[in-house]
Amino acid sequence: MTDLDGAALLDIARQTLLADIVPALSGDARFKALMVANAMAIAARQAQYGAVAEPADAAALAAAIRAGLRDGDKDLAQTLLELARARCRISSKTAEKAG
Amino acid sequence: MDDARRAGLAAWLPDSFSIVGMALMSGGAIQQNWQLDVVADGTPHAWVLRTDQPATLSHSRPRAHEFALLQEAFAAGVAVPEPLMLCTDLCVIGTPFFIMRRLDGIAAAHRIVRSESLGGGRLALVAELGRALARIHTIRPASAALAFLSPHPNMPAGMRFVTEMRAHLDVAGVAQPILEWGLRHLERHAPASAEIVLCHNDFRTGNYMVDQTGLTGVLDWEFAGWGDKHEDLGWLCARCWRFGSPHEAGGVGPRAALYAAYEDASGQRVDDDAVRFWEIAATIRWAVIALSQARRHMSGTEPSLELALTGHIVPELERDIMLATS
Repeated sequence: MTDLDGAALLDIARQTLLADIVPALSGDARFKALMVANAMAIAARQAQYGAVAEPADAAALAAAIRAGLRDGDKDLAQTLLELARARCRISSKTAEKAG
Repeated sequence: MDDARRAGLAAWLPDSFSIVGMALMSGGAIQQNWQLDVVADGTPHAWVLRTDQPATLSHSRPRAHEFALLQEAFAAGVAVPEPLMLCTDLCVIGTPFFIMRRLDGIAAAHRIVRSESLGGGRLALVAELGRALARIHTIRPASAALAFLSPHPNMPAGMRFVTEMRAHLDVAGVAQPILEWGLRHLERHAPASAEIVLCHNDFRTGNYMVDQTGLTGVLDWEFAGWGDKHEDLGWLCARCWRFGSPHEAGGVGPRAALYAAYEDASGQRVDDDAVRFWEIAATIRWAVIALSQARRHMSGTEPSLELALTGHIVPELERDIMLATS
């Protein structure tokens, strides 16, 4: 059993939840089951892509941005956009497609 | 509501009213809304009783303030649930409450943005939203009934916003370079001072009710405060409140129709640049709120799947901020 990794296991568990369990639910229970499915999808993508590489010293960077020391820094803007996109790949399937 | 509270309410209502039905409505972690049906002289009345959750240490706006906001909005001609009675005497049902007329219609954002006909159709609904905002913005700081609202500081509204958001981030204590980038952009591009008006501050699809013919009422007044009219227009138009719809004004209809109806009703020009500024601000504000909700889960004080998932909204907001500012 080495070829079934965590992401794949979460994926089939989620498919089962959506196909066999959610249709039998209604109201609040259905809403909560859909939230569980969403959480499983995020966890599966996290397992698949690994942790997002965060900026080395986020506190110093945040302070420098606030102080105006990085105004107009196009490289930094690109880095931050890539960081947001990397986080989106894990958090949101629709965001990954859209941007 | 137990028998004692219900009896207290029945005794407090004017003699001609008798309670024929009461049921707790869904939603509301801090407030409770009760569907309240009464009959007076053979005429049925459909009401909502709004009160605090028992044993909740409420940090939100007191019911009396919310009632005053509804009264002012109603008097200004805004479609709201008509406020009828306020009771701050804790001996009646144990918590302060007020009673408002119950509205017909639906508020579910995902249904509204997908429908071509709800609210009288997209163009009609967007125009009604513009007119409702114009009426809200006729309420000015001189209003004695709203003296409980914090006065607007003597600075442009955009700078007030940046100052407030930085304070929130500092209290949270977690460095957020992308939100800082967005706030610095706003600081450098803040519009000049505009007239200060009453802003609803949560005027978006999901917080108003519609029926087949139009807008039936604007709900959720607890964040209202003094600000720039463009704050409300930007909050409504921000991408994060379009619910996946391509329509820029609240996910409902075209931005131009919103502006036109607002300008027509108010006689004042909408500054598109200022609205765009407040759309970025809206995205940052929602990210700050979402982060604080996620922290309530992560800190272990309030484990909740819903709060945890709210934290995963933030990356999409951060991407929107970077796309709008770089």
